[in-house]
Amino acid sequence: MSSGGGAIAERDVALVDLVDRLLGGGVVIAGDITLAVADVDLVHISLRALVSSVETARPPEP
Amino acid sequence: MIELLAITDDRAAPPPPLRIVPAGPVAVVVGPVPEGEVDAEALWAREALLEDLMEERSLLPIRFGTRVEDDAAAAEVVAGRGAELLAALERVRDAVELSVRAVDRDGTHGAAVDAVHAQLAGLAREHARHDGPEALRSAYLVERSGVDGFVAAVRGLQQEHPGLSVLCTGPWPPYSFAEPR
Repeated sequence: MSSGGGAIAERDVALVDLVDRLLGGGVVIAGDITLAVADVDLVHISLRALVSSVETARPPEP
Repeated sequence: MIELLAITDDRAAPPPPLRIVPAGPVAVVVGPVPEGEVDAEALWAREALLEDLMEERSLLPIRFGTRVEDDAAAAEVVAGRGAELLAALERVRDAVELSVRAVDRDGTHGAAVDAVHAQLAGLAREHARHDGPEALRSAYLVERSGVDGFVAAVRGLQQEHPGLSVLCTGPWPPYSFAEPR
């Protein structure tokens, strides 16, 4: 999918999709919502990684 | 403290370390607050618990990181929202979420992007398109029985539109369709 190891890139995409959903999805229930700063950093790093990996992505072989 | 993971209306005991706390017409799936740093491995471990649970019952994922003191507090925060949460469960019952991103590599395939989204939306119970750096970032609520057909459609669309990179992940619990409307 990207230059250098499709399987790794697929896992990266899935992690970005997971983090997107964990932070922005789900029903909001009252209670303490605890998110360490490190988590948010992880998301931003992952999103940047995704954008750069898909920008260099090639279409799959037919 | 305990973590709140999901709302369900199936009160059967889940596999440990998850537990069920009844709360009116629904129930809360709770688990221990994970120790240590939250890294990718910890997120996937949590996700695996939810996905195993999703195999056997319909559920509404709860926003990540939601914690309360104990079981009584878990029941209390859901009390009074039973009807609303039951309706939200009906909305996602027997369906799962699929994520699709499409990247328009040279920015000239806007019509193709819209066609991809329209075709996939036609296979879904509901869909939600979000803004993002990609040409298409969207979530589709798909019948469990329709997942294979959806994935086949994504493959076909990728072949049909070589100017796009179409990325599909899932099936996910219905994170993007869990909030009551």
